[in-house]
Amino acid sequence: MKMNKIVVLLLGLASIAQAQVSPEIELAARGVMSGNVRVNNINTASAVSDFSDSQLLLGFKQKLYNSWRAQMVFGFQFPDAKSNLGQVFYNHVFLKLENQKNVFKIGRSTTQTILGQFPTLRDDDAIQFNYALNPFSNGLNTQDNQYGNVIEYSHIFKQRYWLTIHGENFTNLSAPENFELNAFGGSFQYIVPESQRWNRNVLQRIGVSYNSYSTNRPGYSGYAKSLKNILGTITLNVKPDPVHFIDLKVQGIYNVGFSEIKNIFNYHDYVRTPSFSTFGTIRYLYRKLERPFIQTSVGFGYKSFSEVKGSEQILAIANVFYRLGENFDVGFQYRYISNNGQLENLFGKEQHRFQFTLVYSIDQLFNNQFDNRNSLLNLEHNYIK
Amino acid sequence: MNRKEFMQYSAMGISGLVLFPTNLFAKETKAANKKLFPTSLPFSKKGEWKEFELNIGISEHELAPSMKIHTLAFNGTVPGPEIRVKQGDKVRVKFKNNTELNHTIHWHGIYVPWRMDGVPYVTQMPVMPNQEFIYEFVAEPYGTHFYHCHWGTLLHMQSGMFGSIIIESDDDPIKKAFPYEREYTLVYSAHDVNFVRRELNVMLDRMKERSYLVKNGRFNAERFNLFNNEEELLNSIENGYQPPYLVTRRAPAELPTPNWFTVNGKSYPSTPYLYIKSGEKIRVRLINAGTENHHLHLHGHDFWMVCDDGVPLPQPWQRNTVSLSPGKTYDIIIEGTNRGIWTFHDHDTSRVTNNGLYPGGNLLALVYEDLPMEERMVGEMNNMKMGKGMNMLPKIALDE
Repeated sequence: MKMNKIVVLLLGLASIAQAQVSPEIELAARGVMSGNVRVNNINTASAVSDFSDSQLLLGFKQKLYNSWRAQMVFGFQFPDAKSNLGQVFYNHVFLKLENQKNVFKIGRSTTQTILGQFPTLRDDDAIQFNYALNPFSNGLNTQDNQYGNVIEYSHIFKQRYWLTIHGENFTNLSAPENFELNAFGGSFQYIVPESQRWNRNVLQRIGVSYNSYSTNRPGYSGYAKSLKNILGTITLNVKPDPVHFIDLKVQGIYNVGFSEIKNIFNYHDYVRTPSFSTFGTIRYLYRKLERPFIQTSVGFGYKSFSEVKGSEQILAIANVFYRLGENFDVGFQYRYISNNGQLENLFGKEQHRFQFTLVYSIDQLFNNQFDNRNSLLNLEHNYIK
Repeated sequence: MNRKEFMQYSAMGISGLVLFPTNLFAKETKAANKKLFPTSLPFSKKGEWKEFELNIGISEHELAPSMKIHTLAFNGTVPGPEIRVKQGDKVRVKFKNNTELNHTIHWHGIYVPWRMDGVPYVTQMPVMPNQEFIYEFVAEPYGTHFYHCHWGTLLHMQSGMFGSIIIESDDDPIKKAFPYEREYTLVYSAHDVNFVRRELNVMLDRMKERSYLVKNGRFNAERFNLFNNEEELLNSIENGYQPPYLVTRRAPAELPTPNWFTVNGKSYPSTPYLYIKSGEKIRVRLINAGTENHHLHLHGHDFWMVCDDGVPLPQPWQRNTVSLSPGKTYDIIIEGTNRGIWTFHDHDTSRVTNNGLYPGGNLLALVYEDLPMEERMVGEMNNMKMGKGMNMLPKIALDE
């Protein structure tokens, strides 16, 4: 029956039709409490209760006309002590527009300085190895590398190929009042949607990314002044088994850097001198009753500096988490880091860190009213706009 | 907007939303309307058996213009095709599962052998992904019945897994008492479309895991929540197993709250018309394949209640409202005694809504084909807005 052959009398319903459309509400929270014991010659104290990286996210989402969806997200986290960020750091304040094949995001959010996530207790546990570091930061906090004011567009081809271009305003300590874009980049990734993880593909994710920071480089002008780095990542489902799941994730970051920096005297030099870092983890996940039950992983990182002979960093990390109940885990993590050569003066020689932790994490959707791009129904049985 | 226009809009608002094709009486409209009733499933004759083929798959289905959902659809339609046989026929239904979920078919109201009753783990194993199951039974008793999935029934039925099965008799007592030429099947259902979407996704996700494990011979009672007996279940609980209904594994009950109400898989304004002529009798077969009670009321007529669950009533009686509870079927005879266009709808008016907005849901109309030209609605929005066409409109007495 064609619409032009019918008469629709839809009047007098204004009070209903113009009512506020209530959005989907997403509430996500993560509480991470750890007791940290450090054995080291690095000047950082042990802590009886470290709640950094605990965070709360609140998202609102609704359908727009013409098959688009809009989302608004607010979130904050508790940063590390001595981070100079205050008691609370607002890590997410953004708006997102998306349809089946396009995503546009603007606001404060995660930056494209890492591809995917690693199975560490906190996201920043291996930050010197698995994040492209913000050259405008003084290194006092990790949030400078993880979050920024972003403008980002992604196009998705054939459900799994993500082409992203982005620009960022990273926190710039030398110009804190400047909110212009000071970085841009792009990435291309193949990502198997989470809902299809049991389709037993070996390749879960592979991608490359390019970032360019608008730095000042004495003696250079134009594009040559910028600091550039290239990221590459691969995640393999070594054993894509629903009960005993094993995956391997590796990421490498080549910081093209400034070859004239031959010494690392401070953090400024550290992030600008050419370097190559790699970080990889292998994770075993035991799922009982179709839910995660025990997870353990080991990871290794290595970072070398081609222009600073004899300087390198080594990282080893291992953890285990045991699920006490839905959403609640108890865990232990050990991390060893060694800084050699000129890095010893900057970061200290080495550190053994032991963390005993409790983690409570939730991600709940209220007033759910439409499906997302990566649901099995939309992926495998025609996408409903 | 001037005062006159305001009054006209307000008047329309009181009557609600009315939607009729301008060519309600045209051949094309009637032809299109036929598609809003279940199509009869063809069969092939294999010896003394009438053999039907049913499959189940996941389809995109439109409830009302622009409102689409994913459904479980027999042979790609909601409701599934109508199986129409003669009393005493030997019926064979080859059922193929083309989804990644488990299913069965229960023959509601049919005297099937108990092994053909379609109750998983009681009368048969579930029909697993890509499996086929053959149901065989003799078509008894006479009357209006239906079939539906009996696996994950709450989800699968409101996802669309239902259809009518009509067992005819050469010596039809209803046709004798109320001679009729035309008949209509109306299958009612109710859908919490958010529940359907969420749970289908969850079940598809789980079944990807479970199918993999089953293929590898790694069935696990606790993982599948499937125990051979109560003792086995209690032993597992003793050893730390948490049944999925506990709050440690599931938030407090979020039972589905239907927000779409359908007749033959469609909500108003996509619902079918029942055509009738003055002096004609039509038979309407009412089937409730959903979870809600429907209090169906016909304007301007008293209809005859003639069958209850397919069973002919020894003494038909007249009503203008019938309560059709879940699982129930009624046959009614409508006599063309009051020419016009009459609504036939659920008098629990919360069910004549779409996503909470009235009118919608299972609202449909009885249309007299011999309505004189001067009484037929040919007005259009613009005419009404201009104050030209109001008098041409039939009075559609909606209840709100």
